[in-house]
Amino acid sequence: MNAIWPVLTGIGSVTPYGPLAGLVPTEPLEPSTITAWTTPGLRRAFLVEPFRPAAVVPGLKTRRLDRLSAWALVASSLALRDAGIDLSQWDRSRIAVFFATGFGCVELTEAFFQSADANGWAGTDPITFPETLHNAPASHVALFHDLRGPNVTISSKSFAAESALLQSASLLRNGQADLAVVLAGDTLTQAVYEWYEAAQLLSPACFSHEPMPTADGFIPGEGVVAMVLEPAGRQTARSYAALGAGRWAMGGDARSSIHQLLGDIKPDFIFCAGNGAPCSSTAEAYPVRDLVGEDPAIYPAQTVATGMGEAGALLHLLLALSKCPGLGQALLLGRSAQGGYAALRLELF
Amino acid sequence: MIDAQKTIVVTGIGVVSPYGIGLSSLQAGMLAGQCCLKPATELYPGFAGTVAAVGELPSLAEGHRYSRTDWLAMAAARDAVADFDGPGSALRESGIFMATTVGGLSEIDAEISRGPAAWYRHGGLSRAASYPVSRVAASVGEHLGIEGPACAVSVACASGAMAIALGANLLLDQAAPMVLAGGSDALCPFTLSGFNSLQALHPEPCRPFDQNRQGLNIGEGAAVLVLETQDHATRRGARILAVLRGWAMTNDATHPTAPHKDGAGLASCIRRALEMAECGIEEVGYVNAHGTGTPLNDIAETHAYENSFHGRSRPIPVSSTKSYFGHCLGAAGALEAAITITAMQAGALFPTLRLTDPIESVGIDWLRGELRRQPLPVAMSVSAGFGGSNAALVFGRPRS
Repeated sequence: MNAIWPVLTGIGSVTPYGPLAGLVPTEPLEPSTITAWTTPGLRRAFLVEPFRPAAVVPGLKTRRLDRLSAWALVASSLALRDAGIDLSQWDRSRIAVFFATGFGCVELTEAFFQSADANGWAGTDPITFPETLHNAPASHVALFHDLRGPNVTISSKSFAAESALLQSASLLRNGQADLAVVLAGDTLTQAVYEWYEAAQLLSPACFSHEPMPTADGFIPGEGVVAMVLEPAGRQTARSYAALGAGRWAMGGDARSSIHQLLGDIKPDFIFCAGNGAPCSSTAEAYPVRDLVGEDPAIYPAQTVATGMGEAGALLHLLLALSKCPGLGQALLLGRSAQGGYAALRLELF
Repeated sequence: MIDAQKTIVVTGIGVVSPYGIGLSSLQAGMLAGQCCLKPATELYPGFAGTVAAVGELPSLAEGHRYSRTDWLAMAAARDAVADFDGPGSALRESGIFMATTVGGLSEIDAEISRGPAAWYRHGGLSRAASYPVSRVAASVGEHLGIEGPACAVSVACASGAMAIALGANLLLDQAAPMVLAGGSDALCPFTLSGFNSLQALHPEPCRPFDQNRQGLNIGEGAAVLVLETQDHATRRGARILAVLRGWAMTNDATHPTAPHKDGAGLASCIRRALEMAECGIEEVGYVNAHGTGTPLNDIAETHAYENSFHGRSRPIPVSSTKSYFGHCLGAAGALEAAITITAMQAGALFPTLRLTDPIESVGIDWLRGELRRQPLPVAMSVSAGFGGSNAALVFGRPRS
């Protein structure tokens, strides 16, 4: 791989698997029953079980934060720990934070609407308002770790997490940062879940304990995954993978674009990243099968990560890295129901 | 030696502002010193304060539910490519970086909090579909038939400038032939109420950098720049409006809402953008400031300019054009980039309106009173936002 391609040296996550540094367990999860609000019957989702952030990251104060910001703080701390980064040895003005999200701080946005409904628009809560902004989690990460480099929050229909990975790599490649903490995540709230339900996007498995492997629809999820990216070459760093060229687009000729991306490379592994759309089945994620032959081992999109929608690709990648036994070339591949795609080359170590 | 493949140029500008649609209406209004700020009660009965609204928008698209922010973005993007006569593939494969903070919040009623399912059943379902901020970038793509990489940027009030910076990065990576980069935000009760709760709104037209400033006014609008490499622009014979010579993004990492009191993060951002532009402090002829009119922002920003331009032979000319049509939040950085380019094209340094008693500073030449006419080879646009984010863009006139 090209020396200027950054390497992935640390992973932290707060997902339905719990708060973890590094790789995650590989066994599939069952969705949990929703109890956070009153539901009209059984409703299930991939939920993060409540935990005390300070028990995972000593000294962390999250009492005033929503879950998304709290999880971002925990996940980023675990990722930096996993990468063996001693921040006191780094120029923190050159460390970037890049956060991808679909809905942002939707919990506090709902709380703000609630205060407006209860008290009128003149009686809303000043503490809540700034925390409704999408960039609040990333700015809390910067504040907690004193990271003064670029601090960016993005969203991209279907491919926010892939886009964040590629844009963070660009910051490193173009000399705009020396290290990047890339995060992707969302929280699941009543308003979001009920929107999916009203739009008839949910899998029947959301309403039943019976297994229905072939049913359409998806099971919503939540969580935050953080990854540390840095240029190759730090002496003590353990690398999970090098991040190569990649591309995401709303449409166009995915096959020829991926062909161009791969060049002569024949990937050993294909990691599929579903995006939460009900028709993004695993089969549709293989437009390159004829480009790469039958040799690559294909890691299908995981239901738990598909539930995180456009912020899910980091969890897809984490799950694939956790399961994948070998070294070699990999292609992270996402497809959307509307014809969009994301593709990212990786070299696994 | 200039590397034309790494030089980013601006070849189109689309604007929707309270002056109307198009850069020419914005330029004419500002050159005339026209202020668009009006009492908020005209639009939102019961709301105190002063706002600037965009008039009626043309109907641009059918078949989907678009938020007002989407409509503004689509109108600005269409305006930006109105004169595009390059190959269709270049436009179709373009990237889109659209900033927003409001997104589809304007379409959601507070009643949703009483029971989302019921609100969706009573007409809210399609309205809520426009809530995700990613819709703004996607809407522009749908409207113009663009299929390249699309990304919404939501970094509070620094979003618009960051969208331009990130779009330029995409071009450096050769990931798209062109990029439409900008920002869009609509007026809505959510943000008016939020800033009101923070006591950040000036009840009357704002007075940025004035010792008697009391806060900001909210505006709405959208601006989109067409970015491409100089090489690509030259090959297709495009008219180059400006060169984006440098850009930078930093974070204060000091407070969730307040800026660093010494403006340290912003000063660092300005220095980095100038470094990238290979531009000395003497070369910059004008800074279009963030200049919200809030007590904390304006003093921090003053310190940032004093520090980053320290050693100049002449004070640095600075103004806040938010005094004309308020703070357009996620669109502000993009609109102000458009204004900065307009200033260079017209050789006109826009004064801050109502600046009668400026913050004392020996290093800053506060532009006020009459419009100043002078050649302007290099100018800078600066943005900052909640969460400590900063962005700076350095523009230069195209080489003949």
